[in-house]
Formats: sequence, C-alpha cells, structure tokens
Amino acid sequence: MSTQTSSTIQFPYKRTLGPVISRFFSELTAQRIVGIRSGDRVIVPPMEYDPETGEELAREFVEVGPAGTVVSWTWVAEPGKHHPLDRPFAYALIKLDGADTNLLHVLDAGSEDAVSTGMRVAPRWRDEPVGRIDDIVAFVPGETAEGPAAGEAQDVQTMDFFSTITYTDVLSPTAERYAASMRAGVLKGQRCPQCNRVFLGRGYCSVDAIILGEEHEEALPDFGVVSNYTIVTPTPYPGQKETEPFARASVVLDGDEMVIAQQQIIGIPVSEIRVGMRVKAQWFPEAERDAAEITSKGWGTVAGFIEGWLHTGEPDEPAEQYLNRVF
Amino acid sequence: MSNDPRSDTDIAVVSTAYLPAVRREHITETEMLIAVVDEALGKVGLKRSDVGFSCQGSCDYISGGTFSFVPNLDAMGAWPPIHESHVEMDGAWAMYEAFVRMKHGDVEIAVALGSGKSSTGDPAEIYPLELDPYYLAPLGPDPVSLAALQARQLIDSGKTTERELAEIAARSRRDAANNPKQQVRSAETDVDKILAEPYVRTPLRKSDLPPISDGASVVVLATRRRALDLVARPAWIAGIDHRSEVHNPALRDLTDSASTRTAAERAGGIAGVEVAELMAPFTSQEVVLRRALGLGDDVLVNPSGGALTGNPLMATGLVRVAEAAEQILAHGRNRTLAHATSGPLLQQNLVCILEGDN
Repeated sequence: MSTQTSSTIQFPYKRTLGPVISRFFSELTAQRIVGIRSGDRVIVPPMEYDPETGEELAREFVEVGPAGTVVSWTWVAEPGKHHPLDRPFAYALIKLDGADTNLLHVLDAGSEDAVSTGMRVAPRWRDEPVGRIDDIVAFVPGETAEGPAAGEAQDVQTMDFFSTITYTDVLSPTAERYAASMRAGVLKGQRCPQCNRVFLGRGYCSVDAIILGEEHEEALPDFGVVSNYTIVTPTPYPGQKETEPFARASVVLDGDEMVIAQQQIIGIPVSEIRVGMRVKAQWFPEAERDAAEITSKGWGTVAGFIEGWLHTGEPDEPAEQYLNRVF
Repeated sequence: MSNDPRSDTDIAVVSTAYLPAVRREHITETEMLIAVVDEALGKVGLKRSDVGFSCQGSCDYISGGTFSFVPNLDAMGAWPPIHESHVEMDGAWAMYEAFVRMKHGDVEIAVALGSGKSSTGDPAEIYPLELDPYYLAPLGPDPVSLAALQARQLIDSGKTTERELAEIAARSRRDAANNPKQQVRSAETDVDKILAEPYVRTPLRKSDLPPISDGASVVVLATRRRALDLVARPAWIAGIDHRSEVHNPALRDLTDSASTRTAAERAGGIAGVEVAELMAPFTSQEVVLRRALGLGDDVLVNPSGGALTGNPLMATGLVRVAEAAEQILAHGRNRTLAHATSGPLLQQNLVCILEGDN
C-alpha cells in the first residue's frame, strides 16, 4: 500500500488587460458587447492582433449582439467545482449578431432538450458588474437580455484571477523507505556502486544515472561540517513566514559523504555562522516528525524531520577543504 | 553505396523506447526516464557519454512541481557537465530542438525525451490554465467540453458522424489490444454497443476520449556519419516542421487544421506515406487531421492504438514519432508520418516525415 501525498498550488493573479481587452471589459460593465474590426470582419471577443496574419489592428470597436446564434454546444450534465454554474448547463460557441467569429460562453437553458444548433440566445447580466468575461453570467434562450438596468461604464484596467490546483501522488518505493527511516531518526542514503557517492532518499545516482535500490542503502552520520551558507534578509511576499534575517547553510555529513543544502543553523546568531563549523542534527521529537515534505518529485529532503543543526562546540575544520563541497 | 541519397549531415532516428502508458506510475518521473534512456541507448550499443546533446519535454503544471525538469535531467547523468535543453512541451518538440541543434554540425548523437504523470492532477483543473486567461479560463471549460464543441461542428457540417467516431474508437481499441504498451486494451470494440453507451459530453462518449496516463518516451538521433554504424536501416528525418494558430479556439475553424496542413507541406508532403501516427487524443480530432493532411484510405493510421488508447501527456507526441520510426526500423516500411499536437483543440501541430532507404 503506497502513501498518498497531496499538495495544493494557488495562483492569485492580478492581470493587466492592455488597451483592447480593457475596452471590452469596460463596455461589459455597461452591458455592451464590442468587437474589433479587422478588414471586412468583426472579431469578438476583440484581439490586439489579427488572429490569422498577426497584424496589429486599428482600435476600431464595433458594438455587436447582445443576442446571437448557437453555432455549437455541449451539455454538462454534472457540473464540477471548476464549472461556472452549479446546475446542468451547456458550453456553447455563439455567433453574436454583427460578429464574424464565435464567442465561447455558458448557456443556461434548463435542460438539454432546450438546446440546439441554430437557436437564438441573449446574455444574462451580472447584478453588479466587475469587468470580467463572466459579467455575462450566462446566455439564455431568446432574443432578450436579462438583468438589472444598465449603469455607466467603468474604466476596467486589471482583472483578478484566482486559480488553485490540487495534486495527489504516491511515494515511490525509495521515498517510502526513506520516510520510514527518517521517522525512526536515521538518515539513510543510497551509495552508487560506480562512483561511490551517496544520495539521500533518491532512487538513482544523479551522476551515473544508475537505479539505486534497497541493496544500496546505508545509515549515514547525522553530524558534519558547514561547507557554505548565505544570510537572507526577508522581503514580504505571499507565503513568506520569516521576518528577521536568517541563514541557509550546506552541511557535509561526516566522512565527506553527502551535502545537504538549504539547512538552518540554530542556537547561534546568524553572524557567527562560518564555513568549517562542526554541527549535529537537531531532530524533531518523534511524535512531531512529519513526512509531508517527502514527495516523488525532486530529491530527498530532511524537512519535517530535522529542525536544524547545532554547533557541537568542537574546533572548526579548515574552511579551504570545503571549496568544492558548497552544494 | 554510389546511389546513397543521403549526405553526412542527414539525421535519422536510430532507436526508440517508451514505457507502457498506465493510470498511475509509482516510480518517479526521473526513474521512468532512466528506464527508457537505458533501453533506447542499449538497443544500439551507445552509452550516455556518447550523447552530444539531449533535450527534454515536460510540463511543471502537469507534474505539479517547479523546475521538475532539473531532477529529470539526472536521467542523462549531468556530471561532468553536458549539453542539454528543455522545452515546456511534448517530447516531439524536444526532438525538433535536438534536430535543429544537430544541424549546427558538431553533434553526432542526440537524445530527445518526453515525460509526464497526468495521474497527479484533475485535467478539468489544470487545462483551463493553458487557455486564454481573460476570455476563457474564468469560464472553466474542461478539455472534454472543448473537444465536444469541435466534434459537434464536425457532425453538423457533415464531415463526420457519431458512427464514424465509434468506428475510429473500435479500430484504435483493436490495435491497442495488440500493443502491450497501450492502456485501453480490453474495452468494447463493437460499434453498435459503443453507440449505445451514454454521452460524457454530447456528442462524445467515453470511447471518444483518451485515458489519463503516466508515461515516458525517448528517441535517439544520429547523423549519417554514425547512423549507418548503429542500425542497418535508419529512419531518416526527411522533413520536420511545426506551425501554430491563434490560441483562442473559438476564433478558429475547428473543423480544419491549417497548421497541420502547412507543417506537412513544409516537411515534404504526404506523397508515398504508408503509415501515419497522428496524435489525436479525441476520435473527432483524427477526422480533422486526416482531412487536413489529405490522407487516403490506403494510409494505415495509428496502428499503435494511438493517443486515444494511451495518452501520457508530454510523451504522447514523441511516442507517435517513435512508432512511425519503428515502422521503418523494424517493419520495413519506406515512408511514414508522425504528428504531434499542443495547445487547445489542435492549436499547434508538428509533422515529421521519416524515410527508409533500400
């Protein structure tokens, strides 16, 4: 039975719209739909460039619709959480009156039987427009637009878009064994039979591209020497938890085995960290060890198991011997 | 070899390998790539140190990790430093870059790789992010809904029928039953029974849709200077080209693929092509591609089972190249076509024409 892992990535975008999309969305807030002229054609929704030739278009906007004709459609019988309506609906390609291209949008028709190619539809406007494509909540059957009385057009220059994706994966057999070993407080590595290098929680040698299995695994010391470090002064951004300058160090495990990068040195001010300093792992208490950071992407990590590295108090090693072990 | 039509700088596919497409692969993407690189190089007796250039195709949005191509590069063994590149596209475009790179004249052997684990995410969540972020993404159209809009236009315009789509599904599934690397190998192949199945999105049924797949693929390229030492009958790249159309599918004629037609013309044309491996993850897209390319009934389409029965995103297109090349390397064909696509509803298309010499 494999361990399932899950992670959610979120993208809180604020997009600038440029002169053409900005005009289109501004018009939507006044319940008007505009296209842009390209030669003999009117393109809706408007583009900055002709979609076929790539020529920049003169900004000659033309009001179209609001009613139009369904050119193609499909019925979404069981909407998912990423669909715009929570009841069955159609996606449709709609040719608005006066337009020469199709607009992809949502059609709220009640039932599949009510939808057909060639049917006439009109927009249902959002109660309080914000200047987005979904200011048209959906198209509805008929010639007449629905919604509140139209107000003044707003000047819309940006658009918020929040997207979120949840990924689920399973741990690879190597990552599974590595996580179990880390829960028990033992750093375990895989030694390459060809180059003799050791890797943490990695099912292969990164140098020789050889698959490494259980037979290549061995326990590693949880102490070593700082071979490189940097002090980071944090700037605020979404997700940043640090507020004070902090260090990230590389630690070479004893026996010159393996460099573990991006480690915290704890118990001393960051100004006292130096290359050559001897350190030992400070493990989280067993009950607090957490394998959430171990995934089947990337390389093995000690995050969630080792809180940081403490100076042992022993004399430093000569810094020069770590020049080629910085990462 | 006085009548040898090739020059020293001509480039051929000399070896291929790909993993079976599966619903969920338990090893990592890097480990998947190590396996296929080992297999492809092993077939022709090459080592990683013989490779002058490698290019990967993969997509962080699909694997769900930033810079996932960095650990994936370990599959080539990146120390001492090597010459390599990456495209955030299907491996077929990685092969295009490798081909162009070899044209500089200083690389004799190159490897193109494609890999992806689609099992980790919900296509309905991920795909809207490849759409126009202003006009389309906020409406959340999932890939099956988009394909259904295209399919209905094909049917309404008389270019296909639901029965023809079911026949394409049945043929693909029969072929997949003979290819242990395909994922959908034991599904219904009776057209009437398929037509009795419910719609997922009208007018498309489950039989019209690809599975969600994990997989990896590799092709090995060599110049003529090396190719003839490695295999008896290399699959020469007679031409390769890719073309793109407007990103918003609502602004295109979805019943045609002008970019596929242009790419095929520029790659040398379809005259004499015996087998075509088309990346058509939906049955309706095979109809579009066959018509755009002008393939006759005498051309064998997707004998591998095609993307419809195994669709490891970012590897699928390169699998088509591998299969078209193996038709020459292993099955004695003389001229084959590989097609790969990227973007919503056949936005961007690559065509590669392969030839064998007698």
